[in-house]
Amino acid sequence: MAKLTINGKTVEAPDGAPLVEVIKQNGFYVSNLCYIDKLPPYAGCRTCLVEIEGARGLQLSCTTTVRDDMVVNTVTDDVKQARQYVLSVIDANHSDRCLTCHRRVKCMPGDICLRDDSVTHRCLTCSKNYRCELQTTNDLLDMGKDSVEPWAGEERTYYEAAPPEPDRGNPFFEFDPQMCIICTRCVRACDDLRHTGAVTLAGRGFSTAIAFGAGGAIDESNCDFCGSCIDVCPTATLMERPNKWLARTEDWVSTVCNSCSVGCTISVGHRDGKPVIVKPDSLNPFSDDQICVRGRFHYDAVKQSDRLAQHLVRSGDNLQPTTWEEALDYSVEQLAAVHAAHGAKAIAFLGSPIATNEENYLVQRIAREVVGTPHIDFSAGPVNRAVAQATAAAFGTETLPGDLTDIPERAKTILVVADDLEESHNVAALRIKDAIDPRKLPLREPGRLIVITARRGELCDFAEPYGGVWLQPTPGQEAGVLGALASLLADDAEIASAASEAGLDPAVVSAADAGSTGVDGAALEHAAAILREAAAAADEAFALVFAPKSTGVAGVAESAKAAANVALLVSGTAATRSFFVLPTEANVNGALDMGVSPDGDGKDVNGILEAALGGEVKALVVAGDNPIMHLPGRARVQEALAKLDILVVVDQLLGETAQQAHVVIADAPTYGKDGTFANADRRVQRLRAAQAHPGDAKPAWETLSALGTRLAASLGNAVAFAYEEAADVTEEITRTVPGYEKFQFHGYFGWGKGRAVDESAAGQIALQPVAVDAPAPNGEGEVALLTGRTLYTSLEGATLRLADADKLHREDGVLVNQLDAVALGISAGDNVVLQDGAAELSLKATLTADVPQGAVFVSSYYDGGAVGALLPAENGSTAVPRVKLVKQQA
Amino acid sequence: MLETEATLEIQQLVAEFRPGNADLLRALHKVQHRYGYVPKEAMGVIARQLRLGEAHVYGTATFYSELRLTPPPEKRVDWCSGPACRLKGSTHVRKVLESVLGIGMEENTENDKLGLHLAQCNGTCDFAPQIWVDGKVVGPLTAADTVKLARELKDEAK
Repeated sequence: MAKLTINGKTVEAPDGAPLVEVIKQNGFYVSNLCYIDKLPPYAGCRTCLVEIEGARGLQLSCTTTVRDDMVVNTVTDDVKQARQYVLSVIDANHSDRCLTCHRRVKCMPGDICLRDDSVTHRCLTCSKNYRCELQTTNDLLDMGKDSVEPWAGEERTYYEAAPPEPDRGNPFFEFDPQMCIICTRCVRACDDLRHTGAVTLAGRGFSTAIAFGAGGAIDESNCDFCGSCIDVCPTATLMERPNKWLARTEDWVSTVCNSCSVGCTISVGHRDGKPVIVKPDSLNPFSDDQICVRGRFHYDAVKQSDRLAQHLVRSGDNLQPTTWEEALDYSVEQLAAVHAAHGAKAIAFLGSPIATNEENYLVQRIAREVVGTPHIDFSAGPVNRAVAQATAAAFGTETLPGDLTDIPERAKTILVVADDLEESHNVAALRIKDAIDPRKLPLREPGRLIVITARRGELCDFAEPYGGVWLQPTPGQEAGVLGALASLLADDAEIASAASEAGLDPAVVSAADAGSTGVDGAALEHAAAILREAAAAADEAFALVFAPKSTGVAGVAESAKAAANVALLVSGTAATRSFFVLPTEANVNGALDMGVSPDGDGKDVNGILEAALGGEVKALVVAGDNPIMHLPGRARVQEALAKLDILVVVDQLLGETAQQAHVVIADAPTYGKDGTFANADRRVQRLRAAQAHPGDAKPAWETLSALGTRLAASLGNAVAFAYEEAADVTEEITRTVPGYEKFQFHGYFGWGKGRAVDESAAGQIALQPVAVDAPAPNGEGEVALLTGRTLYTSLEGATLRLADADKLHREDGVLVNQLDAVALGISAGDNVVLQDGAAELSLKATLTADVPQGAVFVSSYYDGGAVGALLPAENGSTAVPRVKLVKQQA
Repeated sequence: MLETEATLEIQQLVAEFRPGNADLLRALHKVQHRYGYVPKEAMGVIARQLRLGEAHVYGTATFYSELRLTPPPEKRVDWCSGPACRLKGSTHVRKVLESVLGIGMEENTENDKLGLHLAQCNGTCDFAPQIWVDGKVVGPLTAADTVKLARELKDEAK
């Protein structure tokens, strides 16, 4: 640590830290228009000049590093004047002439500039007015007050040339280069913070401009629309397109994104009861200053007017509006009738992986304490429980203590088993890239990456060029590849002896071969060599990231076992901390922790639906889930739900399951709720309400506790649901659910830091045998059907089957390998039909080289999960589903 | 990414280049040598080959005036921007060329038959103000001469 003086105040800072960051962290203002925290300095704007005693002239605080006994002054007249001159040069190439005008506060947007009639572009008519860094910088340097006007007496040449064309051609970004001051923050954010490199400086000299991709529209480039460039842009050049003009917010609320299990913390700016802008919030140290397109833009995928604003009750074929009281009373009456006629086991409950812990907790309380039924689950339950069982058997605990921030900070070898992590868990993929290609200060040693996926994703480009390897198995053979890897590792004498010492039996995994997995032998040997090195270097961190698929329980279970085996062979007892599971949905771990799982002889969601078909289960309460959309075998699910005597749905949207319900009780929007989520590494995070409740909608915890109370009274149970606010439920959770003791709702400041795991837990580790079936060849005219969570399709938009659920329309079709397409005579944009028996799905074909030959890919959320119709119901088989691919005749 | 005949051809052309080997300019030169310019698809292919962002390749290509992103014109007219020409009134020559031909500097007519290019002094200032038609010096020019010449060029380029 160095001790230095800033403006007379003595402060401490790490030796070698950039001075500009230290000045800012200690509460002093220093203008800087090109610096990005944590990145190497660029020193382009020259506005961060400060005086340092003993140094010649003024120094740039971004390129200066902290030394002991440094005396820094940021407020002398010399400093101020120098900064003003520098800033005036920057202002000269900016279109807004109000920046240095002392009478700006007296003007209205409709006024004509009283000082110069050729001025057409003004701060007053700019959407970033009063939230613009350049404007603030001008204000704080007194540019208007001291009348430092670069254009005084100038011929106003700026207004003689036509301004450059803005790009408003995509739904997310607006790019208006006339405001650009070429600070290159966007270029460096895209390169160094995101590893995307979609933005560049084009041209040179005076004609230098920011450009995307090969100089075309933003949506033609490789931009992922994460918006990192928007966050760093000091002007109105790059801005969010939705609500661009509304986003001067009333307030900001810190909450959590609900789009995947990374659980990025976000700040939601709201106005008139609606979210209008989202920025990353660094409470969660794993997501830190980054989010993805979903977190930033999916808040408005569904309009407030399309949300459920009324409680509904079925009358014949229609759902009719009703009051909350009536909806509850009717539900209680019907559930009590089923209870009386068929017993408790005729009633089943579904929680949800996108509902809060509080809601899930109440669902299982009603089920267990009020009704006494063992049938509790959620759609994503079977898959994630299969993974949890595999991890429990391997590591002795379901709640793995591994901390995801280890990946960007320490992991030297990373093995990713995922379909396309870039699309399903964007920020997790980003942090892996951070580890492989470190750009942030202080620079760490780069790691190496092994990716196992059948379908090419962006992460594959971070394997080979950085000394890693991409193993591309035949679809469905992920477990086979992992098995072969484990066998290669177990053959190594040192690893085998270390494993035996740790109490493992290497014989369990030996003798698996890679013969039928489709993976190149040399690539597999390369991967094994990397893992052997990782195993030998015991002090180096290893990370295995496993993102289970959403369907195909049997296959997922085998992959999970095989992945755990590899982790155990590489890191032995330390594997517990290096194995990371990334469920697809946001609060899967929360739902599992709250106990939304069947008891003893209870049925899981598939069993419940089977039982509904068989007439054993007569009533179903669904809180936030949508089994029609999420489960395979769509027709069967619909049929099962239709057979129920009473289907009660508590949801924010009228999805397909709600449309079949007898009672629909409107829930508040996710961003309008209080509660907690537990993310992939069980970081317990707080949701806060930033959105008004449409119409009569009530937060689900209120509905559920009222339902519980009334149902208990009706069934003659003495169970109390005495909660006045969501915080009361949280409080009960912290008393009753293991691992949650340390959280409190109010007055707790550890959100994003605390995790619901026992960090010191040391369970019994064990290797497990893995059953791998050889891949069956595709039948005549058949292709393997791959599905998965994709980046752009909004879950809420998909639930309502909106045409614009994917606003870019990149994912509403089927990806076909281009060689297959040639063989079948399919061109890009043709309609093709996927057939599985009677089930058919007609989609637009997109040709690609990323999907392997003999396979097609459809987003699992395309058209409200339409692809579920082609997927077989869970049948215990590990085989990849196959469909016929036919070109549709015009 | 989609592979087409065009991208496969470019792919073969740049197959010898490696990431992290300062090969970007060599690759761009090779592509321009083959096609006369750097086609848009080529930037994608080079980016993939060298493991760079497409934007990186585009930024480089636009930095150097030697590299062009549009097909070269069949006939190129260079306007000398040198100081001697300027002193003798080349600004008028430029204005005439641009208004008669209807294109600006570094632009082609729609059919790519004629293009204007801003050139630097080549030392033949005794012909100032001058232009070069396909490399051949024409000058000294008055505005009236230029109008006549430009009209002829425009007719030829129809």
